[in-house]
Amino acid sequence: MEKWMKKAWLAISVFVVIVPVGILLTWNYEDAWGEWDSVDEGNTTWTPREYSGEAPLPDYNVPGWESKVMSSVGYWISAVIGMSMSVIFVLGISKAMELRRGRKI
Amino acid sequence: MHIPDGYLGPATCIVMYAIMVPIWWLAAKTAREKLGDRSVPVLAMLTAISFLVMMFNWPVPNGTTAHMVGGTLIAIVLGPWAAVIGITIALVIQAFFFGDGGIIALGANSFNMAFVLSFVGYYVYKGVFKTIKSRKPSAETFAAGIGAYAGINVAALAAAVEFGIQPYISQGYCPYGLDTAIPAMAFAHLIVAGPVAAAVTGLVVGYMRKNRPDLLNLEKLTLSEG
Repeated sequence: MEKWMKKAWLAISVFVVIVPVGILLTWNYEDAWGEWDSVDEGNTTWTPREYSGEAPLPDYNVPGWESKVMSSVGYWISAVIGMSMSVIFVLGISKAMELRRGRKI
Repeated sequence: MHIPDGYLGPATCIVMYAIMVPIWWLAAKTAREKLGDRSVPVLAMLTAISFLVMMFNWPVPNGTTAHMVGGTLIAIVLGPWAAVIGITIALVIQAFFFGDGGIIALGANSFNMAFVLSFVGYYVYKGVFKTIKSRKPSAETFAAGIGAYAGINVAALAAAVEFGIQPYISQGYCPYGLDTAIPAMAFAHLIVAGPVAAAVTGLVVGYMRKNRPDLLNLEKLTLSEG
């Protein structure tokens, strides 16, 4: 790995440490517009037909970790897993493309 | 801006996937031609950064939240096609593993955040940078900030239109029409997510111009001329 990249990853890790800010700052806020679990319309409640499968870490948290502290831990875990997967996916896909290109030649 | 499943009717979801297939294909084709060995780890890092910045939800004064995306940053460093790839990968991970944004709606979300945001962000940045002529890092910061601001807001508008047309075309899906969706999405992104995206993108790109201009000279995955 190039030297600047090590430094950059170190800088990024600082933001990973403070990522719970992303839920704590908005703890008492509602969901982002259009991302509600349900909508009250007068006397009726509208519910979206949700994704039928099961996301392992829904809402970037371990299911059941409800307190601010545990949600923050869940958020850290989610950030690390999600970012690692981002890196693995990009490297994996480009590797797969290379292999395919290699075979063509 | 991650549209969950159940908000967009089947027609919209199919059309958005149909639009995205050739875009994904073109992005992959451009990457095969132009994404060099040195650029791949940079794209991996920028994709991880995008994943991270999307977790920073910011409070919107009307009680909702919004976040930046990072597509303009990837587009400025590696070109908008690279941003299509990076943001799509982040969206896939978010949808399947974190339940953020729908899987049936993935075409629509990719269109808004991976395609529209990145291309608008990149070409606005290019336009502003050309217009102001200065080549100081501060000029780069300004142009990148304007680009990121424009990109996220046009993307939010696209999402709002997709939400807002549902009452007219698909009963039982998003209950709010254009008159509600557009102002709500515009408000959150014009006054919160837009400024955040502008500041972060501008500062990062300006820092790179000042300290590591070579990283801004990697081959860019653009439409043609570059």
